[in-house]
Amino acid sequence: MDVQYLNEHLGPRYIGHFALLVAFFAALLSLVSYFMATQTRGEVLRSRGWQRLGQLSFLAHGAAVFTVIGCIFFAMLNQYYEYEYVTAHVDGQLQQRYIFSAFWEGQEGSFLLWMFWHVILGYVLMVTARSWEKPVMAVVCSVQVVIVSMLLGVHFGLGDMLIKLGSNPLLLLRETVNAPIFQQADYVDLLRGNGLNPSLQNYWMTIHPPTLFLGFASTVVPFAYAVAGLWTGRHKEWLAPGLRWSLFSAGILGIGILMGSAWAYEALNFGGYWAWDPVENTSLVPWLMLVAGIHTNLISKATGQGIRATYMFYLGTFVLIVYSTFLTRSGVLGDTSVHAFTEMGLEAQLLFFLGFYFLLSIGLMIWRWNHIPVPEREEATSSREFWMFIGSLTLFMSVILITGATSLPVYNSIREWINPAFDGLTLIEPEAHHNKFQIWIGIFIGLMSGGAQYLRWRERNFGKYFRSFALRTGIAVGGSVLLTFLTLLWIQAPSIAYKLLVFSGWFAIWTNLDYLIFFARKDARITGSVVSHVGFGFMLIGIMASAGNKRVVSQNQFLMEGLTEDEELARSTVRLYQDIPLGMEDYVVTFKSDTIEGLNRRYFMDYQRMDKAGNVVEEFQLAPNVLYDKGFEKIAITNPSTKHYWNKDVFTVIMGLPPEEQSVKIRQETEDSLKYRVLALDIGERATFVDTVPIPQRNSSVIYTYGIELTDFSRRPTHPDYTAEPGDIGLSARVHADRSGGIGSHDTVASVALILREGLLYHYPAQINDMSLRIKIDESVFEQLLVRDTDLDYQEYTLEPGSSITVGDQVLTFERFVSQPQVDHFQPQEEDIWVSALLSTADGQQMQPVFLIRGKQPSGVRDEITNLGLYAHLVSIDPNTNEATLRIAQANPTTALSIPLAVAPRSYRTDYITLQAIEFPGINLFWFGTISMMVGLLISMVVRIRTRVPRRAVQS
Amino acid sequence: MKKSYVLALMLVVIAAILFWQTGNATSEYANFEKAATSGDKVQLVGTYVKDKPTIYDPLTDPNYFSFFLEDLSGAEREVVLLMGKPQDFEMSESIVLTGRMQDERFIASDIQMKCPSKYKDDEAMIKSLTES
Repeated sequence: MDVQYLNEHLGPRYIGHFALLVAFFAALLSLVSYFMATQTRGEVLRSRGWQRLGQLSFLAHGAAVFTVIGCIFFAMLNQYYEYEYVTAHVDGQLQQRYIFSAFWEGQEGSFLLWMFWHVILGYVLMVTARSWEKPVMAVVCSVQVVIVSMLLGVHFGLGDMLIKLGSNPLLLLRETVNAPIFQQADYVDLLRGNGLNPSLQNYWMTIHPPTLFLGFASTVVPFAYAVAGLWTGRHKEWLAPGLRWSLFSAGILGIGILMGSAWAYEALNFGGYWAWDPVENTSLVPWLMLVAGIHTNLISKATGQGIRATYMFYLGTFVLIVYSTFLTRSGVLGDTSVHAFTEMGLEAQLLFFLGFYFLLSIGLMIWRWNHIPVPEREEATSSREFWMFIGSLTLFMSVILITGATSLPVYNSIREWINPAFDGLTLIEPEAHHNKFQIWIGIFIGLMSGGAQYLRWRERNFGKYFRSFALRTGIAVGGSVLLTFLTLLWIQAPSIAYKLLVFSGWFAIWTNLDYLIFFARKDARITGSVVSHVGFGFMLIGIMASAGNKRVVSQNQFLMEGLTEDEELARSTVRLYQDIPLGMEDYVVTFKSDTIEGLNRRYFMDYQRMDKAGNVVEEFQLAPNVLYDKGFEKIAITNPSTKHYWNKDVFTVIMGLPPEEQSVKIRQETEDSLKYRVLALDIGERATFVDTVPIPQRNSSVIYTYGIELTDFSRRPTHPDYTAEPGDIGLSARVHADRSGGIGSHDTVASVALILREGLLYHYPAQINDMSLRIKIDESVFEQLLVRDTDLDYQEYTLEPGSSITVGDQVLTFERFVSQPQVDHFQPQEEDIWVSALLSTADGQQMQPVFLIRGKQPSGVRDEITNLGLYAHLVSIDPNTNEATLRIAQANPTTALSIPLAVAPRSYRTDYITLQAIEFPGINLFWFGTISMMVGLLISMVVRIRTRVPRRAVQS
Repeated sequence: MKKSYVLALMLVVIAAILFWQTGNATSEYANFEKAATSGDKVQLVGTYVKDKPTIYDPLTDPNYFSFFLEDLSGAEREVVLLMGKPQDFEMSESIVLTGRMQDERFIASDIQMKCPSKYKDDEAMIKSLTES
């Protein structure tokens, strides 16, 4: 059956599908053209023709990619929920500033982001790469062809198989799922969006992915230069542009990774900035490989040594990027990572992507191995290049170790594929495992990045230079030992490896600053290197300080026997009752209050830091929050709040709420499970009851005797949590409750209220935590007290003051108007104008219905004489005749005022949270050090671009 | 070139040693019986037993969550997790615990849960999409 659908917006679908096809075929054409241009590079005219075609088709490819992105944004901004990608990532509540986050939340969006950067980089290369444009662009285009193919969404039959190529982001929902709703022509109007994952609704998610993907995308350029060098056999000429691009790439990729860890630290409850999560690892590993490549690249440029290694590192970097894409997007990581993408059915294509570039790299290396020039004389052990090479190999070691450990799920998948009965292997404690190895790599790198600065390129005569080298190194060692000693007065380094790590950090800082001061005058190019290596030193010390010395402030208050030290450390949350200060370590923390705004619930924690004598040294407030899922049925995410000092951070995150505060459903269930008993009390009357609470562990029970006294009752409701609104009908009571039995007696006064607002009942109960007692006014009070107007048979009367009427068996006299009376049943607000009609009965009982003008709107408040069953409204006042129009009714009189109080014992408190608080000393050293590393890389890049040979000089 | 060969050889040796070390740091997922015999820290997979007592009372101890787990060989033991009850615990399809046996109880210091995807089928997805 064909349905003619209403209100579908098919424009973006048609344009987007067409643009995707254009993007694919234009990239393919550009690839072929640039390939031919490279192959025919001997024949200038032919080659230039192919190059022109390549340029034009790459321009078209870029335009098509932008169009696809534009179509998706158009559909997202207009909330066209007929698109699958829009329903999956957008909803009505999504703030505009998170639209970018929503775009790259999905796999397809992040692929497009990656391609977007490739296009931009391609355009830059077309302008700047000069003689390298042809082969380099051929490689970039080949990558684009592969990535676009993942978005094509083309299905075709090949023999018996149905091959699915890619997943198209511009498919309609009805094209991807089959559901009865699509029988309806107007299904579009029924759809709502799913919305963006709350953990991504964060400004870090707006800047982290584009930076990281620019880093990812830019690794293709050194790769392309390496391929181009091997392809064209110009093994030395590509080293200079390759270096510039890899400096750029390493700087940006590093910043992208850091933003990810800053996001984890600032916005997630991991309690740290690095967790050795597989996704983190697979982005770090290419960066390490790239940095190794930068070092061998420098060696090759300076001495001609290590060109093969440079090739391999740059080729490896890109292959690792593809490997990381494969791991995070194919679902193979499964349950080992918290933030892997869900499967998209692209495993085969991703595997092809990986296999193709891996085999291409290996093939090219084998083909050209003997062709790559190697200097006859090998480097001296006392030369700088030798130790830089060792440093690169150490980084490579780190790459192998991290990749190996992260690839366990892949190893398991392969073993399971061979032998389905195979039980997967797993790292028992991944963090400890990684730390154990990486700490030594850190020490090595720190020492080498320091010591190597004092060595000279192509050292042939170390004997002469030795004295100066030994002197400088000796002073540096001495200075670093001193600084390490001082540092260890501040932070602890429990093992020799940790002490060495601090020493190695200081050594790197000392030697590099020394180098900067004495050599920078001669060569400005070293500034970047010094900034990076000093940063590395600070990073090492920062890691030792913040991760090695993090202090759990919220240490567990409860004893559990037989635990190891590590296990005791895992018990890192405390429970805080509202308004009850709790001492933890040197802080006193008080949970003061909380606010709800939309789905965001923020808790305010007062911190007081005490000195040893118990005096308050300083006070501050932290406000961690939780975000509820739609419908308040569970907590979607908790966000920490951190107090930053120059030398430490105090980090606080909410670990849990009472179940009743987590979900409205549970709250209702708990309320329903309470055993209320209803006590009907007059003012001044007291009732008692007994509750027996079993203590299961001791096979006994406690008998409590409760006493409840109604001390006051008012028809003008007051309650701490209640704010009056016009039209409210309600009542409140004061209750005096006491409990005896158990360990001690308690005695409390509390307010309870019950409000009828727009047909709905609102309870304002009293929860008395000291005696686990909950009191509310039973709803049956309305049957007694609050007779609904609709149940009454009103008669209308127009009366002058002083006149009387008979209603039922009562004679009512309209005494007079009272201007602005203070009455029990009406709470005036500012700028209200109100008048009442004073009515009295023969035996002197009175009522005063109120006529009210609030904000120019007339309304009224009813009054009643309950024991006579009389109800009256003042409908209007005629100023000319001074007559009042009243509506009066009589119903069955209700007897003496007794207020039904519903009382439930064993109602446990819900005014608490569980909280984790950690102090991270010296965390700013880590941030300063890491940022400095990346900035140093970018400085080097800028310096090298500025010292580049101008174009004219090349051409002439 | 001799030096390069020496370096490469050293690298291979170190890599082999480190890989051997990595091999030692890994193990197959254990079950309760293996954990009891070895006494060491292990990782263990199982499923939550819904009809046995589950205790989490933050008022008593916010770092004590006790429940019963059935391991892959079908044995059921009490597990004490040294932290609060994780969100969506009841929904978990399978649970991976890191910890050790202490007497009859498994003391877990870390937990990972595998939860079923949000929607069981297309119909459930459409249903949730059409509810505002």
